[in-house]
Amino acid sequence: MLPADVARSLSPQWPCREVQVQQLASLLSPHIPSPPTVVVHGISATCKSTILQAVLSTLEVPHAIVRSTECITARHLLTKILWGILEALGQKDEWEKFGKGRCEHVSMLAVLLEECLAARTAEQAGKFVLVLDEIDRQREAPPTLLSALARLGEIIPSLCVVLVLSSTPRPLFLQHSAVPHISFPPYTRKDAIDIMLNTGAPVVDGLPAETSSRLYPHFVSTVYDSLVGPTVGSIPTFRSICDRLWPQFVAPVVKGETPPGGNNEWDFSRLLVKNRVLFRHQGESALVHRIVPEEAPAPGTASRTPLASTAAPSSLPSLPYFSTLILTSAYVASHTPQRLDTIFFSKFSSSSLSARNKRAHHRRRLKVLSQAQAEDRQAAAADPSTPNKRGKRSKTRITKSTLSSAFATSSATTSAIGGGAGITGPSTILTARPFPLERLLAIYHAIDPNPPANPIRVGAVADQIYAELATLRRLRLVVPASSAGAAAMSSGNTSADAGDKWCVNVSGDWIGELAKGIGVEVGEWLAGGLD
Amino acid sequence: MEIDGFDAEVLESSRDKSQSQGVYIYQPTQQGKGAGERPSKRRKVASTDASEEPKNHQSFAPLLNGDENAECVQLRYDIYKQLWSVQKQKIKGILEDVDAGVLMDVLSFVRNTSPQTYDPILAKEPETSALVTVGSNVSSLSRLLSRLNDQLAATGDGGVVVLESGDAPNLKTTLKNIIRAAVTNTEGNDGYQKFLTDRAGPRLLGYDLDLLHDYVQRKGTKKLVLALRDSEAFDPGLLTDLLSLLRSWLDRIPFTVLLGISTSVELFEGRLPRSCASLLQGRHFEVQEAGNCVDRIYEALQADLTGRLWLGRNITSTLFERSSDFFQSPEAFSRMVKYAYMSHFFANPLAVLLANPASTMLPQLRICEAIRNLPSFRMFCEDLVQAGFSKEVRGLLEDDQYLLQQTSKHLDTNQQKMRRLFQVVLVIHACLQHTQSSKKTSVSDLSIRALSGELGESPIVEEMLATMKTLDSEKLMCLLNSLPRALFNDAHFSAIQHDIQTLLQTYPDSGPLRSEYNTNSSVVKTTVVQQRVRLSKGKAKLPEQDLEYTKIIDRLVAILQEYFAEILVNPQDLFLHELFLFDLRNPLKETFAPRPRFAIERALASPFDYLFSSFDVTEGKISAKQPATAILYQLYLESGALVNVHDLWQAFYAVFESDQGDSCDERVVMTLFYGALSELKAFGVVKNSRKKTDHLAKSAWMGL
Repeated sequence: MLPADVARSLSPQWPCREVQVQQLASLLSPHIPSPPTVVVHGISATCKSTILQAVLSTLEVPHAIVRSTECITARHLLTKILWGILEALGQKDEWEKFGKGRCEHVSMLAVLLEECLAARTAEQAGKFVLVLDEIDRQREAPPTLLSALARLGEIIPSLCVVLVLSSTPRPLFLQHSAVPHISFPPYTRKDAIDIMLNTGAPVVDGLPAETSSRLYPHFVSTVYDSLVGPTVGSIPTFRSICDRLWPQFVAPVVKGETPPGGNNEWDFSRLLVKNRVLFRHQGESALVHRIVPEEAPAPGTASRTPLASTAAPSSLPSLPYFSTLILTSAYVASHTPQRLDTIFFSKFSSSSLSARNKRAHHRRRLKVLSQAQAEDRQAAAADPSTPNKRGKRSKTRITKSTLSSAFATSSATTSAIGGGAGITGPSTILTARPFPLERLLAIYHAIDPNPPANPIRVGAVADQIYAELATLRRLRLVVPASSAGAAAMSSGNTSADAGDKWCVNVSGDWIGELAKGIGVEVGEWLAGGLD
Repeated sequence: MEIDGFDAEVLESSRDKSQSQGVYIYQPTQQGKGAGERPSKRRKVASTDASEEPKNHQSFAPLLNGDENAECVQLRYDIYKQLWSVQKQKIKGILEDVDAGVLMDVLSFVRNTSPQTYDPILAKEPETSALVTVGSNVSSLSRLLSRLNDQLAATGDGGVVVLESGDAPNLKTTLKNIIRAAVTNTEGNDGYQKFLTDRAGPRLLGYDLDLLHDYVQRKGTKKLVLALRDSEAFDPGLLTDLLSLLRSWLDRIPFTVLLGISTSVELFEGRLPRSCASLLQGRHFEVQEAGNCVDRIYEALQADLTGRLWLGRNITSTLFERSSDFFQSPEAFSRMVKYAYMSHFFANPLAVLLANPASTMLPQLRICEAIRNLPSFRMFCEDLVQAGFSKEVRGLLEDDQYLLQQTSKHLDTNQQKMRRLFQVVLVIHACLQHTQSSKKTSVSDLSIRALSGELGESPIVEEMLATMKTLDSEKLMCLLNSLPRALFNDAHFSAIQHDIQTLLQTYPDSGPLRSEYNTNSSVVKTTVVQQRVRLSKGKAKLPEQDLEYTKIIDRLVAILQEYFAEILVNPQDLFLHELFLFDLRNPLKETFAPRPRFAIERALASPFDYLFSSFDVTEGKISAKQPATAILYQLYLESGALVNVHDLWQAFYAVFESDQGDSCDERVVMTLFYGALSELKAFGVVKNSRKKTDHLAKSAWMGL
């Protein structure tokens, strides 16, 4: 079969990939000798593996496909390659001949593969293609694995190794020259729209097929231009957005509403004007994946109450009283500089007017400081080339909006150490800082909304706090701050040293809400709170 | 080197702990094995039950100074077993009932999602994950999962693999655990080993999902539920890896992922990387809160019509405090109740009377003596004397036979009173459902009040009766119908209900009847007196039927008041309440909320609270007679956050110097100082300071 024929037979199913299909078909054709190694690369959702598989089966070349993502270690990968080939050659029952089915090194693999391919029967002889899918994502791969696998085809003449990569390869990454690369570029606008139109509009009950076919192309291109193109969405997201929005988009037609402007028929522009809100709210939420999809509202109600469906109140978890209080103290401890502890938390001057004034003064100072830091950071992030000039100017002009945005950014990121990826500068007022456990205990006593009547006679609560803290740690609301603890954390053990520092791991607004539930006002102790 | 006698004694006391009899170091008994030897290999012994059986018989110690006979001990144990097994059944029933709703939802979700809906062309995500929010009710998930597993296994659909964060330190181990759990779930441990070895092909690696694929094919599994019990505690990176791996196997192994979440879905989702969240698509189930469940358990335990032992006020409040303030599961709650039951029968020799034993069995002398020593017996006798029954009192005091007879009689009547008390609590609770509009008072609140004898006069009941007066006939009938049936054995209640019904039948078309207390039936009059508007309230003229209805309501309220006053007695006033009411707070508190830190601090700060001292204890003063660590700790308490070691040593030395004058040997004291300091370091209260090399940093403060 000629490459052009292969392309022709595959294009109805997978359109817009004729060039790549022809390239693959000519390189892997059973009648022409293949290059020992072929690299296929392109970002995800560009149809690499599917096309490759389709071409191979159309050409009827004997082949084996090993998915690298399913292999846990390099050894696992090698073993799987061996079995894959044995299975493809129908020699599975003779596995004991070939290294007892075990393969621990690439050099071993080369020997075994050579034996396997040599043991083929006469009608099987010829070219064999080994496809290693997503080989660049292999776990625990030694650095030489890729280049070693690329040499397999040279050692064994009848073997052709196809490496499928989902990242763009660096030049000469195989330590080898003149390896043919086939690139699968992302679909262009025209391609994407063609593919979408190829499968036709989703069926909507009560919508005439003729209207559907008239409106759908316009709809698809509008969706691409407004939602998919700007966000570099892939074909699957494009399709899911279209499927979700289309029934709502044509709802006025289905329900028989009269179009505005005295016309008898809905045309695309009228529908678009009517559904502006739909694109704004539904469309944006369609781009963000949620684990639990929001209840798809009925097509009719969607256009009327789009706000209510998107702005659903996030439900707060219900923590017991004591744990909430501990979490709040942890948050306050993380977000208050230690030097101000005596001013904020001392019991001796807590109620006097001067003490309150003093606290308010420090809150304001902290607020100004945090604003300045936030501005600096924003300026640096926005414009790294000229940070000094802009940073200085903006420091003097503090507006309310910049402040609120600063606080918004701080509360949106979970601000543990290393939690906020974007914030890597020196520690600021806005990031949570680690605190020793004893400080948490002391602050707990200071902010307790129901302090014991006689503070001297009260039993120590520290032991109870430890127990609850262990639970909070399991929930990762409060985590040990030391980076060494990160390794221990993953294994799930909950032991900690007395001197270890801890850090809160949730956003502030969330804790503020929780704390209000038990009668604690977090803002009283924080920079810029209560203002 | 000369050590005088005193110094030697101090050294002696710190070296050998013969003085510290009250405190000892726990050393597990080692069966003939030295420390260096290897522990004996654990081997499966056929069954150890046979040897343990006779031990159970003597699990309670004889009380009454050891004079209690073996039958009584056994009887106490048996009656405890009997009572608790009844309660345990009840708790189990409630827990199953609570989970039933969610279980059905999750089960149908698991059954209905099929991985085959994954369509590579449309790339539509299959719904393969269920998120179960459990809130603070952490234990409910494991209950749910085990029942889910039973259900799935029973129909042969598959099984549940439960994974905890501890099982998942890295991807390899996680996969190994998943495969092992899935296979052993149906095949058992031996089956797993056999499965590994008895394969046709080459031996696979333990973490190869091909194994699981094989297993699934062999068993025809349709659903394999992978449940992550504490999803938050998993490492996000690992979770991403695992999920992407499962995703690529989804076309061969029918996975369904079940994630247990204790916080909220938003928070969980926010923590995951985008790439991981996009692999999940599912539905959200919510498990009922623990508090509600605990209330139901308490109600079932206490307000039972056949109850024989009750928990008192203190214990009830402790129990509910713990379940509302801390992460506590219903299981933990029932464990606490069990402990309370156990302590009662373990430590109260009179508890044997709850079993209604034949009087010949009892060691009469001792038991009667114990009864006569009860505070409630004294109160009972005083009441009798005041009422003029001095003869009975003499009988009780002198005739053992008569006393036992009376005891069993009063035990019965007073237990009956307790039962009725809780019936009234239920009645009031039922009424409150109709009269309280916003905040509902729970059974536990009412029980605490009733158990302290305050419910009758409490504002809750007064308010309830006042609201009841204003109810119209429809609501009242509805209220009366919701009351427990047992109440209607009372002639008055049935009469009232009958009267209302006849009244309603006489006036069938008058609509709901209203009493005169209803706000609708009072009228506000405005009169202008000397250019001032005066408002005066007056009764509107009521129709005949409403007046009659008012009379009935008045009667009902009067009956209820009388009924409450009669039954709502203070249980602490009942004779023999020590037998059927367990109300000691301390055993529970000490056991379920131990305070190790407090104990250590106290031991160090005032060691003679724990240690026996041969010298006269000088209150609150540091003396050389105390253990060296305690002395150093007290000096440490006096210092600031940074302590100069030399100063500390000087102060330490001064303590000994002042005690012994010039004869004090500095070298010996120095050894003590070093020993004490290293012990404090081991406790974690001091550490080396980074700021100043010759200073120590304080890392623990007392009394937090």
